Amino acid sequence: MPLKPLVLLLVLLCWSPLAWGEVHFNRDIRPLLADRCFACHGPDARANHSGLRLDLEAAAKGKLPDGGDPAIIPGNPDASGLLQRILSSDPDLVMPPPESNLQISPRERELLRQWIAEGAPYAEHWSFVAPHKPELPPLPDGWTARNPIDHFIGQRLLQEGLTPSPTADRDTLIRRLSFDLTGLPPSVEEVLAFREDPSPEAYSLLVERLLASPHFGERMALDWLDAARYADTNGFSIDGGRHMWLWRDWVIQAFNSNLPYNQFLTEQLAGDLLPNATPAQRIASGFQRNNMVTHEGGTIPEENLTNYNADRVQTLGEAILGLTLGCAQCHDHKYDPITQKDYYSLFAYFNTLGDIGLDGNAGVNPRPQWQAPTVLQTGEEQTLRQRIDELRRQLAQPDPKALAEWEAAQRRDLAERGRDLQLLPVRLMQVSTPNRGAGFELEAERFVRVLQPSGLAAYDVLAQLPETARPITGLRVVFHPDEIAPGGGWGFGPQSRQRQKENSPVKGSFRLTAISVSAGEVPADQVDLYRMLPVRRITANTWQSTHRPELSLDMRNENGWAPQDDHQGNVHLTLTFGEPLDPRKTPYLTAQLNFGAGDNLIATRMELFALLGSDDGSPLPEAVIDALQVESDKRSDEQQQAIRSHFSAHAPQTERLRIDLQNAEERLAVQTSAFPVMVMNVSEKPRPTFILKRGDYSQPTLPVSMDTPEFLPRLDHNADSRLKLAEWITQPDHPLTARVYVNRVWQMLFGSGIVRTPSDFGSQGEWPTHPELLDWLAVDFVEHGWDVKRLVKLLALSATYQQVSHSPPALLERDPLNLLLARGPRFRLPAEFIRDAALRTSGLLVPQLGGPSVNPYTPGDLWREISHYGSTPATAQTFVQDHGEKLYRRSLYTYWKRTAPPPNLVAFDAPNRETCLVSRPSTNTPLQALVLLNDVQFVEAARAFAERILHLPADDRERITYATRAALARDPSPGELEILLNALDRERNRYRAEPALALHLLAQGESPRDESLSPTEHAAWMQLASTLFNLSESITRH
Amino acid sequence: MSSITHSSLGQQLNSLSRRRYLTGTAGSLGALALNLLLKGEQLPAADATPHSSEGLPTLPHFPSRAKRVICLFQSGGASHVDLFDNKPTLHEFAGKEIPPSIKGDQRLTGMTSGQAAYPVTPPLKPGKPCGASGTWISDLLPYTQTVANHLAVIKSVHTEAINHDPAVTFMNTGNQLPGYPSMGAWVGYGLGSENANLPAFIAMTSQGSGKNPGQPIFSRLWGSGFLPSSHQGVGLRPGANPVLYLADPPGTSRTQRRDMLDDLARLNQERADDWGDPETLTRIQAYEMAFRMQMSVPELTDTTQETEATLASYGPDVRRPGSYAANCLLARRLTERGVRFVQLYHRGWDQHIALARQLPNQCRDIDQPTAALLADLQQRGLLQETLVLFVTEFGRTSFTQGKFGDPGAGRDHHGRCFTCWMAGGGIQGGLEYGSTDDFAYNITENPVHLRDLHATLMHCLGIDHTRFSYRFRGLHVRLTGVEEARVIRPILA
Repeated sequence: MPLKPLVLLLVLLCWSPLAWGEVHFNRDIRPLLADRCFACHGPDARANHSGLRLDLEAAAKGKLPDGGDPAIIPGNPDASGLLQRILSSDPDLVMPPPESNLQISPRERELLRQWIAEGAPYAEHWSFVAPHKPELPPLPDGWTARNPIDHFIGQRLLQEGLTPSPTADRDTLIRRLSFDLTGLPPSVEEVLAFREDPSPEAYSLLVERLLASPHFGERMALDWLDAARYADTNGFSIDGGRHMWLWRDWVIQAFNSNLPYNQFLTEQLAGDLLPNATPAQRIASGFQRNNMVTHEGGTIPEENLTNYNADRVQTLGEAILGLTLGCAQCHDHKYDPITQKDYYSLFAYFNTLGDIGLDGNAGVNPRPQWQAPTVLQTGEEQTLRQRIDELRRQLAQPDPKALAEWEAAQRRDLAERGRDLQLLPVRLMQVSTPNRGAGFELEAERFVRVLQPSGLAAYDVLAQLPETARPITGLRVVFHPDEIAPGGGWGFGPQSRQRQKENSPVKGSFRLTAISVSAGEVPADQVDLYRMLPVRRITANTWQSTHRPELSLDMRNENGWAPQDDHQGNVHLTLTFGEPLDPRKTPYLTAQLNFGAGDNLIATRMELFALLGSDDGSPLPEAVIDALQVESDKRSDEQQQAIRSHFSAHAPQTERLRIDLQNAEERLAVQTSAFPVMVMNVSEKPRPTFILKRGDYSQPTLPVSMDTPEFLPRLDHNADSRLKLAEWITQPDHPLTARVYVNRVWQMLFGSGIVRTPSDFGSQGEWPTHPELLDWLAVDFVEHGWDVKRLVKLLALSATYQQVSHSPPALLERDPLNLLLARGPRFRLPAEFIRDAALRTSGLLVPQLGGPSVNPYTPGDLWREISHYGSTPATAQTFVQDHGEKLYRRSLYTYWKRTAPPPNLVAFDAPNRETCLVSRPSTNTPLQALVLLNDVQFVEAARAFAERILHLPADDRERITYATRAALARDPSPGELEILLNALDRERNRYRAEPALALHLLAQGESPRDESLSPTEHAAWMQLASTLFNLSESITRH
Repeated sequence: MSSITHSSLGQQLNSLSRRRYLTGTAGSLGALALNLLLKGEQLPAADATPHSSEGLPTLPHFPSRAKRVICLFQSGGASHVDLFDNKPTLHEFAGKEIPPSIKGDQRLTGMTSGQAAYPVTPPLKPGKPCGASGTWISDLLPYTQTVANHLAVIKSVHTEAINHDPAVTFMNTGNQLPGYPSMGAWVGYGLGSENANLPAFIAMTSQGSGKNPGQPIFSRLWGSGFLPSSHQGVGLRPGANPVLYLADPPGTSRTQRRDMLDDLARLNQERADDWGDPETLTRIQAYEMAFRMQMSVPELTDTTQETEATLASYGPDVRRPGSYAANCLLARRLTERGVRFVQLYHRGWDQHIALARQLPNQCRDIDQPTAALLADLQQRGLLQETLVLFVTEFGRTSFTQGKFGDPGAGRDHHGRCFTCWMAGGGIQGGLEYGSTDDFAYNITENPVHLRDLHATLMHCLGIDHTRFSYRFRGLHVRLTGVEEARVIRPILA
């Protein structure tokens, strides 16, 4: 019978010399006993009914608690109860018992037999004992060792009968190093310079250069942000926004300034407790505030606080100690000697925090928080001020041609104003608002009446459109004064706080923070998020300069339209739809009127009209309208100025400048102002900590105080504060801290760790592939002052790192996972690097460091579909895309909403950042293909990349060579060149035959395009650029 | 073994990859093999029959009754008191304090724990005994009443969670805290997909008319937790991109895309040969599947070929893409095409206030489409192999939140007992299971923890939930967790 492929492969692996010769307790036996036996015969006393403990040597080899013979009789496997029970065919005797669903394979049985025969030696679990620096193993003549790493790797290869692979070529090395050390690909110039650099020091100089790059900190931070579960929202339930980017920027700065890792940890765990704590140290302490929080109404504060602290202990365990501490929340750990008391002693360190069980609404950070300027000073201030001046100057001196165009358009618009205008009442059918069942009503199918305001509210109004043969061009909402409103106004809120204070008579008003409209063939009681009508024009008969009509089309609560207080009579807002509606096809319209400002700024009597013909309102102020009526050479200075300033402030022609100016001003503020961040503190009345029965907040048992776990080496003084906890963790001979971090840095450069379970160094974790190397690196790291850059450099300079990653068939068979490192590592890039690489290659990347998170392209408002929009003052309930430079920032600055993280990054295994993660999975899916092929971010990058290529004065072949160097950091092979040249011709012909298609394609993305390029040529090259971005090699680091 | 040539090994890796590319676990293929090796776990026996999909070779454990699942998740906490668990005593006690012996000292949410009084609110509408077992269903659900013979109505479901986020996370992932895979992710991981052109797990959301917006929902509810992220539910949405990024950029034709994919395949193949890289071979396949999805998904979501009668049966909302009704129709179409797990989330069941105003609207959203879905599946012979779950995160209190008689009054969350139903593959219809006291407040008979629902779901799919685990944080973690979970055998067909 032919073997099936999977079986065949497994058989191959099974027979591989990777299988070990001599039995080694820590490597072979403990993991086996832990996995199959410790659940009932381990540290968890509750689950251990027989009293037999196999985790303790004396117990396992001594008389059983009931007086029976020892489970293990060294040297005599056949007499050992352990083996007898495992081999038993009696279902009542066999171990593990059938109901456990655990089995011990024949091979494992042989291992146990051999171990007992060899005397059943126990050893302390390797990672709970401080590492010692082993001697460097010798290497055979002719083997290259560039540093000690190669000795350890080489020794193992030698044992396995393998030889190292040759050093990769320069092109490969610079791409590999650039991604590993900065998360970005090298430029063509960098590739060529390195390729041709004759210096023997070229490689180490390159390493030095990349370590000094500010992007090094960004790259290193990414791993830490996953571990620290950093995000921009609170996570649970409503998932409102928070402000933690100062902490994120602290991390970047810490790596860039090469803060020693022991200090890095100390400041994050206890920066607030350091003597004379600096603002930076306080910001750093936000590490343990990155946990999710809730302000869901009705949740129980004590339960929430317990959950928060449980998350902090879990994160401490997995991110720093490599221990699955979380397992001991409900009972003693089943596999490692972590007791429930140990767990709650660690819990106690964080339980003194003065946080609050329900907190963090309305975009205000949960307490405690702190205000400070960023520590990530980039020296941009001067440049930014100049840029701001320049942009202001450009805005103040409009391009006469653009101005003339705009004026002409305005005059056309004014001439069109009110043409064939007809306002037909709609028949109101239903009104609803989420959190109230009363206090509002429909009156005579004509008015929505709000009788009792409720702070903030969004009203969904369903209406039947009038039967008319004319197309419906828009919607007018009229707000009537009403006697139930204060001062006979249009609403219930104070228009300005100032007036309220002065106690002058107040006319009740409102602020319409957002309006959205949909239409359909069947009635929809709520605005249909999937069929929202685009609005091309919006006007009002009155507005405040800070609350103009168009601001109601921005769905956030922070802005909106509001009338001027002194306006008399009705006020109204008029929307003109992108396309007119045919009421015979879509007879039902739903509008959501959102009054999200709070303060009862809610309207009271509203009426809706279908608009036919042209709106008689204008988005222009009267003064501008008047000025436009005057011939331009006859205008007064004042009139001229009115036009120019309106043009600067509102014309589509100046929008890009305005966006750039706003972004520059925000950026300047980032460098110069203070911002809020969540931090640690110690409460004035710290909560006492108890062991919680089954981890349940409502079942406290014994009180415990702050302490470190008993099974690990302890300080010689009381570890009774978070600062002492940090001191304990960063002791030079701590068995875990350095090993765990060294392993993670190894993982960054080699794709996976020496221990392949980077969050679990306990007995269920994997045995290190190179234990001596791990220990050597850990000790060396501490001996050299926990110097992270030095560690990275050490790894990068090893011959092991520099090998080619090719896997010849024999090697692939022997070691498909490359555990032995007989070749260089090869793995798919992390999500962020993939997007960043496309941005960098295309020239779109804006390589600014730090600052508030940004919202680049996302396909629609994915937040509103799942959020509490319209019902809460919480932020981050609706997605509003940013513009300008914010579309092209590095991906680690993308706003991370935990309940709806950025889909183009999630497709590539970016986590949702709900909990600590120290190793991302790496999948390979069709959705990834769709992102790279179709996401506007990548499509636009292909367009910009094509433009770069076309700006090169060269022929097709030279351009393809350049493009390949830019995308892949190497020259194309003759075969590739052929394929790409054919593709180029094919696409050229295609777009020449249908030039309109070229323009459609080139219209993707908001960045300006070089219109001097031939569209067909540009589009053809754009397809070529996209092909390069979609190559497997482009997203693989090799 | 060493006689295997490079290309034949490549082919084998490739064919292995083919089997796994949809679930995207090809990258961990070696990891699987190596784990087995290092851990000394039993290798799959040589005669293990390969599954028809990309699921685990060891599944199913036993012949399954259901091949697929449709989960109709009613988000917000649907009121068992009003809809299913009829208690005449509630009418007697209308407006009177719920007896302390009933209310006990169970914890309440912060929304009602401070109330001075807890007067009973009787069910909003009358109802009637339905189907063979005469199970009571409210007149708020007239269409559901007609399909009672398909339903196993479980009146004794319970959960420890009393707030939305933990409760909805619990029901969907078996854990109140984030980080765990959802039901659909587990099922997709275990059984894979029957359709090479569609994902194994699809999730859809809709907004309820009862309360707008409903309680927020989270991508973690259809997330993959610690399973490979390729098992997360793929969202299906109305509009030009039913799956995110599905549509080619404007100005790109299908033949053009085909040409590009052919170029990519040739270029990638050259690289894969050079490197000896199975991952790149897998990626070629992933691009092919993406290309096929670009055709199969629009075909799937195009309901214009459905008959008028079928469309009408789902009710008027079926013509509104993104509605619960439209999603029910899509659920049938997905099921027909072999999608393993289809999950609908309908928001708006959180009737703290204005019960009398909100609940009828909310019921109208789901009643006709739900009944139509069952009938439609039945008519096409799909119901017997499709398990349908109608679940929610908790029920609601039989006492009033707010003032009794006030039109603004409602009901608070109630996790001690609530009603869910199951139907279709593996389930005996026309029965009810479990019971509560006279106030629909405490369970009196046959309690069913939500873990038991999970165990039963797995059982119907031929999976022994105790033997279906994934190693995470050193533990063999299961959907049903560490506490005991039982299959609800009396409701099985």
